[in-house]
Amino acid sequence: MDRFLQHLLNALMLGGTYALLGIGLTMIFGIMRVVNFTHGELYTFGAYMVFFFAMTLSTNFFLALVFAMVLGVALGAAIEFVLLRPLRGASIDTTMLIMIGAWIALQNSEQLVWTGVAKSVIHPFPAEPVVLGPLSVSWIRIFVFCVAILLIVGAHLLIHRTRLGKAMRSTFQDRETAALMGVNINAIQTATFALGSGLAAAAGALLGPVFVLVPSMGDMAALKSFAIVILGGLGSFKGATLGGFMLALVEEMGAGYISSGYRDAMGFLIIIVVLIFRPTGLFARAERIG
Amino acid sequence: MNRWATWLWLAFLFSIPVWMTNQYYLYILINAGIFIIAAMSLNLLLGYTGQLSLGHVAFFGIGAYASALVSLGFDLEITDSYTFVFAPRPVWVGLLAGILVAGFFGWLVGRISFKIRGAYFVIVTISFAEVVRLVALNWIDLTEGPMALNNIPPLTLGIPGLWELTFWRKVPNYYLVLVTCILSYVVIARLVRSRLGRAMIALRENEPLAASVGIDVTRSLVLAAVVSAAMAGAAGGLYTHTIRIIDPDVFLFIYTVTMVIMVITGGKGTLAGPIVGGLIFGILPEVLREVASPEVQWVMYGLIMIAIVFFLPDGIVPALASWWRDRFGAGGGGAESQSEPGPGPEASGTVTDTMGERA
Amino acid sequence: MTREIAAGETVLAVENLGVRFGGLVALAGISFEVRAGEVASLIGPNGAGKTTAFNAITGFLTPSEGAIRYRDSRIEGLRPNEIADLGVVRTFQKTSVFAASSVFDNLLIGLHRRGGARLWEILLALPRVRAEEARLRAEAEEILDFVGLSARAGEPGGALPYGEQRLLEVAVALAARPSLLLLDEPVSGMNPVETASFMAMLGKIRARGITILLVEHDMRMVMGVSDRVVVLNQGAIIAEGTPEEIQANPEVIRAYLGHGADRRAVGRA
Repeated sequence: MDRFLQHLLNALMLGGTYALLGIGLTMIFGIMRVVNFTHGELYTFGAYMVFFFAMTLSTNFFLALVFAMVLGVALGAAIEFVLLRPLRGASIDTTMLIMIGAWIALQNSEQLVWTGVAKSVIHPFPAEPVVLGPLSVSWIRIFVFCVAILLIVGAHLLIHRTRLGKAMRSTFQDRETAALMGVNINAIQTATFALGSGLAAAAGALLGPVFVLVPSMGDMAALKSFAIVILGGLGSFKGATLGGFMLALVEEMGAGYISSGYRDAMGFLIIIVVLIFRPTGLFARAERIG
Repeated sequence: MNRWATWLWLAFLFSIPVWMTNQYYLYILINAGIFIIAAMSLNLLLGYTGQLSLGHVAFFGIGAYASALVSLGFDLEITDSYTFVFAPRPVWVGLLAGILVAGFFGWLVGRISFKIRGAYFVIVTISFAEVVRLVALNWIDLTEGPMALNNIPPLTLGIPGLWELTFWRKVPNYYLVLVTCILSYVVIARLVRSRLGRAMIALRENEPLAASVGIDVTRSLVLAAVVSAAMAGAAGGLYTHTIRIIDPDVFLFIYTVTMVIMVITGGKGTLAGPIVGGLIFGILPEVLREVASPEVQWVMYGLIMIAIVFFLPDGIVPALASWWRDRFGAGGGGAESQSEPGPGPEASGTVTDTMGERA
Repeated sequence: MTREIAAGETVLAVENLGVRFGGLVALAGISFEVRAGEVASLIGPNGAGKTTAFNAITGFLTPSEGAIRYRDSRIEGLRPNEIADLGVVRTFQKTSVFAASSVFDNLLIGLHRRGGARLWEILLALPRVRAEEARLRAEAEEILDFVGLSARAGEPGGALPYGEQRLLEVAVALAARPSLLLLDEPVSGMNPVETASFMAMLGKIRARGITILLVEHDMRMVMGVSDRVVVLNQGAIIAEGTPEEIQANPEVIRAYLGHGADRRAVGRA
């Protein structure tokens, strides 16, 4: 029972960051109809930017986190502006190929800059874990979880309480009508991609100090984001949030009770099973199929 | 291209080991040939049926592992008291098994995933490949996991006791790959110009219309997936018995991306496209090896892929075909097609296919 | 395979066909019949449910209730290709050809049902396969000739002018050897000359023994070619009869007027 609770707690801690990844990807798909293969690279980018500021430049750790997220937003905007804007209206397959190309180029650029040697970020939190009876959790993970939740709530508020969010939602529902209503579709798409990318970079910036950094770390992040989004249904914010926690739970339980080697396989098995039995995801309405 | 040109090409390809004595060059060609087979198989799905399957390397790897395991033999402990022992079989049996097993998985994936389309389909195919990779990595009893399967025997052909040839060296392996390449080409060419292949193309172009004239959508797509997977399995089998060591890294997504780049660059949905793309991206890394690190190369390949999609969305072969036609008139194309130099990619696609038909 | 069908015998029977999308009722239990050898038309204002009925009959959507019978088979809920195998073939409201394939290849694709070569036979290039290809090519040429598109054989289907694309659609449908052909607004967007020649072709198709169910807005054409007309309004059938009866039916006139449609469109024809 204690072991079970510990797994549950671990899943909760991890789920926050997974949800961030999922929300970023699902926003981009829902509003732009782009399957974003660079998502994992933004995650990598966020992690390395924290390393760059905190370790190379010795900036304050928390400031480094902020810089990483802001730069993630900027990189996302740049990718959208250069690669996707000229291809508005292209088929989903075309943009997918473009994004695969961008992903390969980005990942290998990271490899060139940072080399393949694993790097780690030293964070200011105590190494001693917090012990609550039979459970224990490290301070950094609590911090990561809290920031992730803040960002999720922030993204939620942005989408539901601001004019930008309203424009995004109307673009999501019906692009043509939104355009007729005076929404600047181009600007909305850039903002969406930048925001989604920023969330991926935030996830990387937060998890980077927990794990070690290697240039290929984004691959798993990207594939897991897909799993999360499929779980929740492509284009659903709430689905992606829940999907993030569910994936973390399944992985944690799979690693704990089946075999740690198959930890990463859980997400993919979920994808396959969900799509066989409920192709629209667990939480999506049918009309959201892309 | 007429019959003469085809024979000339074949004669050239068969003569290469006679005058190219540098074994390293032959090795490059063997590798490129294996990738060309894989790219041709992907082209059947990606180019002809229009399904962006991004888990293709799974079939390649499954073929490789199946062939290696059958020729090495293996034992699996099923229960404490019973161990399943599989004795080593000749390599050609392994190759055949690789093709069959890969084809079976093609059928399975096809049955499951063709219910869904677009982004979902792409993600399922990627997931499938990742699951297979993780199984290969973790099922150590069977695959040795990251320690790799070693000492995989090369192919032996002949009549036992009378005459036998074991494919240790580069030259026989070159011919083995070349012959498989040609066979694969013939399979694809015959298929896409047949009733079944036309059904696949019809699905790419207009699925509802295709269904309305009686084409069974799922059946056609599954058939394409089976042929494609089996062919990729053959490529994997050749790979495993020429390289003679195999580890779970064959399942890396980057290899699928390599195949996709080959097909897209060469020209998806054309017979010659994967060959041109496969030659370029099979040989280029070796040429650039001295000048650029693998990372720099990969950055380039990523950018090339973007550039191709932006500026040459149909790929090199259709672009060349249309240039040829503009320059020399319709004579290069099929005489039977009376097509005016029509606008756009549609026209060039037609001409390319006609060219292939006469080859 | 199937028994002989005498002219005038019911071939298609739509019984209490209902289609709902969520809470929206697209078809509220309609029933009508099509008889062998006739040209029947389904008319009605926009949104009346004509295309929905077509989609249900040809398997592009599954009805919420009711039965559809073609000859001796229940066909509701079958897949489009299975329904095509029974001889029911349709065209689409929006122009729908295999745009990148040549006109000739469009026909060859349409002839899918006419071939039977299997994978292994194709891969071995058996003589049987070659013979079949030759036969299919001959059939394709014959149909192209029939619709008058022989001169266009080598051009990509998508490059044809609009009117010819619509002819190509019909040719592709004919290639599938229908016994019942469903045409969804075949002359929309055609000029009067094209419409007239299309009507002539419809006569020739009919002369081949093919039963036709037509959805069309052009009343002149509907009244000119139909043996019987079924009028749909808001998902229900409001009238059924010969063109003369329909033109005289007050409820039909009201339905068209009520939707702001051209009254003269009905009266004139």
